[in-house]
Amino acid sequence: MDLIANILYDTIYHSTPVILLVIGGVYAYKANVLNIAMEGMLLFGAFSSALMILSTGSLFYGLLFALIVNIFIGLIFSYFGITRKGNVIIVGIAINLLTSALAAFILKVKGMAIINLSEQVDIASLKVNIPLIKDIPFFGDVLSGHPITTYLTFVLIFVLSVVMFRTKFGTYVRVVGENEEAAKSIGIKVNLIKYSAVIVGSLTAALAGYNLAIERLALYTNTMSAGRGFIAIAAIYCGRGKPKLSSIYAIIFGLAKALAINFKLFAGPISGLFEAIPYLVMVIVLLMASYLDNKNSWKRGYPNE
Amino acid sequence: MKKTISNILNVFMPILLAFLIGAIIMIAIGENPIEVYGILIEKSLLDQKGLLKTIHTASPLILTALAIAISFKANIFNMGVEGQMLLGGFFAGVIGFTFEGLNPVIHITLSIIVGVTVGILFALIPAILKAKFKVNELVVTLMLNYAALEFVRFLAEGPFRDHSSGYVSTPMISESSMFKRLFESEITLFTIIVLIVFVIMYFVFKKTKLGYEIEAIGKNRDFSEATGMNVGKKIIIIFIISGALSGLAGAGHMMSDQMRFTMSFSGNPGLGWDGMLISLLGMHSPLGIIVAAVFYSALITGSESIAVFTSVPREIILIIQSLIILFLSIKMISKNAKAVAILEKITNKILRKDNKGVKK
Amino acid sequence: MNIIETKNITKKFGIFTANDSITLNVKQGDILAIAGENGAGKTTLMNMLYGLSKPTSGTLHVKGQEVSFNSPLDAINLGLGMVHQHFKLVPSLSIYENVLLGIEIKKEFKIKNKSFSLPFIDKKKEIKKVQEVADKYKLELDVTDLIKDISVGSQQRVEILKMLYRNVDVLILDEPTAVLTPQEVDDFILNLKELKAQGKTIIMITHKLREVMELSDCVAVLKRGALVATLKTKETSEKELSRLMVGRDVLLTVSKNHKKVDTEVVYKVTNLETKNELGKKVLSDISFEIKKGEILGVAGVEGNGQSELAKVLCGLMTTSNGNVIYKGENITNMWPINLRKKGISFVPEDRYVDGLCLDMTIADNIIAGNHWNETYFKHKLYQKKIINKERDNLKEKYDIRISDIDGNVSSLSGGNAQKIIIAREFSRNPDALIISQPTRGVDVGSIEFIHSEILKMQEENKAILLISSELSEVMTLSDRIIVMYKGAIIGEVDAANSTKEELGLLMAGIKEEA
Repeated sequence: MDLIANILYDTIYHSTPVILLVIGGVYAYKANVLNIAMEGMLLFGAFSSALMILSTGSLFYGLLFALIVNIFIGLIFSYFGITRKGNVIIVGIAINLLTSALAAFILKVKGMAIINLSEQVDIASLKVNIPLIKDIPFFGDVLSGHPITTYLTFVLIFVLSVVMFRTKFGTYVRVVGENEEAAKSIGIKVNLIKYSAVIVGSLTAALAGYNLAIERLALYTNTMSAGRGFIAIAAIYCGRGKPKLSSIYAIIFGLAKALAINFKLFAGPISGLFEAIPYLVMVIVLLMASYLDNKNSWKRGYPNE
Repeated sequence: MKKTISNILNVFMPILLAFLIGAIIMIAIGENPIEVYGILIEKSLLDQKGLLKTIHTASPLILTALAIAISFKANIFNMGVEGQMLLGGFFAGVIGFTFEGLNPVIHITLSIIVGVTVGILFALIPAILKAKFKVNELVVTLMLNYAALEFVRFLAEGPFRDHSSGYVSTPMISESSMFKRLFESEITLFTIIVLIVFVIMYFVFKKTKLGYEIEAIGKNRDFSEATGMNVGKKIIIIFIISGALSGLAGAGHMMSDQMRFTMSFSGNPGLGWDGMLISLLGMHSPLGIIVAAVFYSALITGSESIAVFTSVPREIILIIQSLIILFLSIKMISKNAKAVAILEKITNKILRKDNKGVKK
Repeated sequence: MNIIETKNITKKFGIFTANDSITLNVKQGDILAIAGENGAGKTTLMNMLYGLSKPTSGTLHVKGQEVSFNSPLDAINLGLGMVHQHFKLVPSLSIYENVLLGIEIKKEFKIKNKSFSLPFIDKKKEIKKVQEVADKYKLELDVTDLIKDISVGSQQRVEILKMLYRNVDVLILDEPTAVLTPQEVDDFILNLKELKAQGKTIIMITHKLREVMELSDCVAVLKRGALVATLKTKETSEKELSRLMVGRDVLLTVSKNHKKVDTEVVYKVTNLETKNELGKKVLSDISFEIKKGEILGVAGVEGNGQSELAKVLCGLMTTSNGNVIYKGENITNMWPINLRKKGISFVPEDRYVDGLCLDMTIADNIIAGNHWNETYFKHKLYQKKIINKERDNLKEKYDIRISDIDGNVSSLSGGNAQKIIIAREFSRNPDALIISQPTRGVDVGSIEFIHSEILKMQEENKAILLISSELSEVMTLSDRIIVMYKGAIIGEVDAANSTKEELGLLMAGIKEEA
């Protein structure tokens, strides 16, 4: 029973940053902009919030700084990928390399290898124990005791889903992605919509970085994003850009990670192999999603993506 | 003419701009960029030892860049070069340290074959997923890179760990599987192999039916399918070649440079990612790749000197590299720009002078 | 009163002049036709009127005032609405959502006398309002239908509704009848006359002279970017207009002698069937045969399965049932390369998607589809000399006009680009040809040439399948015609003894019981 509760708690824990990346990332996806810079945005969100907290000691300033910096990165990505029509995959790779290079450079200049915030941040105090729920056996262990961002994340799934399907902005994002000419012909500012869609993603990536570095570990390292941005892209692909469905794929990743970590304890010598499992699970999920998509297709060939 | 000039400008402007921003960053942290760039160039290109080291460093990068180029040219985004290279290098190393006292020719050949085969096998996963099930290769290869990294980490920490070493590492490969140094420099036979492979790939790109089909597939997939190029089959062939080149790069890097597998085997950001920048810089053309690879390796060898001779962190080079990619993603100058027209005039003048000189 | 005036409007793209100093006046309540060949600059002119692009020089006046449009929104606000040739609709959204795109109605709530708007869209109100306008103009639409589920004719009415909802006074229509059956065209003409009666001004871009004569009050003729004439429709004729458009007398139809065809069947299709992603049949029970030296025409309104039929026959789509037999051999679901090796040639419907690679050289496009041939790739190596020689041969033989022989196909005009495909596919000496939309978007001169080449292939005893939505093309070239409707063959007629009306009824799905 404890093990199951642990696994479920860890699932929520590991899903959170990926869900955040997913629900923001779906906007760019729906606007027909493939944003693989999510990886770099996640890392820089973590880095900039950690850096700010290190010098001010304020969590709020840390988060605010991360949000602002990430808007800036989103603008750079959009300028090169949208305004100047560069290949967005190459722009994305460049941003990913640039963010990690900048973070490493700044740390070196400051004479640090990592940012340790154990003095500024008390992780235990950031965990929210929900009254009533925390006392329910089993469910209390699973649902209570997460940091505030985690709860916010699950609320955001629904909020951003409603924005996508029930508001003007969401409609425009979908129209721009589906038929740019139609959008132009009635005067929708296509680039503005695309920029905004990318920036929604940068903002949630900043939040995800804050969650990852501050709330969870009080620590920043240069490799801590560990491909979560790419996993989010995979989840968005599988979920065809639908916020709720894509979030479910993010949770599948969280579950795979939670299972790997919890069963690692029993795996002995091969426990190291378990680290690879979440990534392989995503490959299998991609395969299944693609198979279902194409199983009824009678067309030959590979569409230009 | 206009097109050539704008192409050249579109490669040089990003480099200049990236170095300029690098200089601004250095000034911001109170360093002298001219001095730093001076050391960078001097130690990597102007000094004989440095130049040979640069060429040695360029060798595996030429292969990973070709691996990227063949897939990007076909508009197939094989981001898995890094992972394919890593596995190829690792298993070439396993052959290297497992056997001892073999005939060097046999041992080296065997290691290379294993490295290449592993690279191909690993590349076949995304290839088959793409060709048979139309799974997006970009996302799959990105995932598989992480899986490959975790896999070799597990092997290096566990079954193949060299327990005499203080950090995570496999044993050193046997003498018989090492490429010997040539001309008392860092250059080895591996560099020669790379040059031979390069010539072959040049022909594949420029002169063969496969090269023609790759170009067509990259430029218009529907057209290629409709005119009977069998795109699915070609995707698998492209991945096989890409995987083979990556595996060879890893094996060569192991046997000519690293000699044992550590977690920093591939460097930062990694040979596969370096290859991507080189391929982009060389506009996915073989000759461009050679030039770009030497330039890029000069940055790497130079960055080591920067770390030794100045107090600027070597990560400045990483920043400059990523800025180059960022700027390369767009056309900075169109072929109708004024600057191009002016340069065309100047070049024409110079060329005409030369021609006259030849006639006389 | 002139509702629109252009004064010396010029539009340049780099060194190319698309519109050269055009001065044009449109009277309120008139129907003005703008006629001209493909590439004459009609669409460029309309795009400037609609704010999609800006003139290089010259001015535009609406209702007497000089205006400068930054976006289509500005044009709409001044009462100018455009219906594009390629509809600008979002398939996954419903009719009302498409109509209200950009002017969505938000939910409101009232506190006392003040009303506040919420960020959410008020669906109920939207549906009601759009349906009212659709009914007022008798457009026969259920506004809650999704665009992807309705017919092309209905989609066009949605585009018109979109503009009417925005209260425009001037409707600009770009090639509006290209996608309609002859009967739908008649209804459409009635619709426009009704709109004119209600005081709307209509500008219609077209290259179909029959419609110009039937519908318009005035006609402006464009040729190579310049306005060559503005005429009262009553005072001109089809012949004069075509001479003005092309600059010389043209044969409006090629003549074909209906010789007696061979009895040997070369190409045979039985019970062919395939489905789309949703599992819906898009081809059902298609059977026909083509004899040696015969042209079998396939007529029908676009979107009735012709594209899918062509795709299946070209090996780009697989079948869920049925067989294709060629010279007695079953070739169903073979890959394109094998079909080509067997001696079948293909002219695809979208030349820039399946037919040509724009960013490759002319020579490289010419060998595509024959690249398995040892002549071009001896020992798998590119034979540059032989390939270039073949290119020069074909250029000569098929009268392809090329400014830069080593340039890319993207530098060619539509007609010359199409001739590359014709040259490539016809010169292979095939025994059967599957030809789709061979003259779409091609200038009149090239149409003549392509038609005569097709007839030449017939003379050489090839079996030819000709799929075209241009009814006159099918009627003049074919021996027999089958008509497709909703993925099936609804009827077959003898080309020599059939009428446009007869075919039009079949295309609309109406089958007269004998």
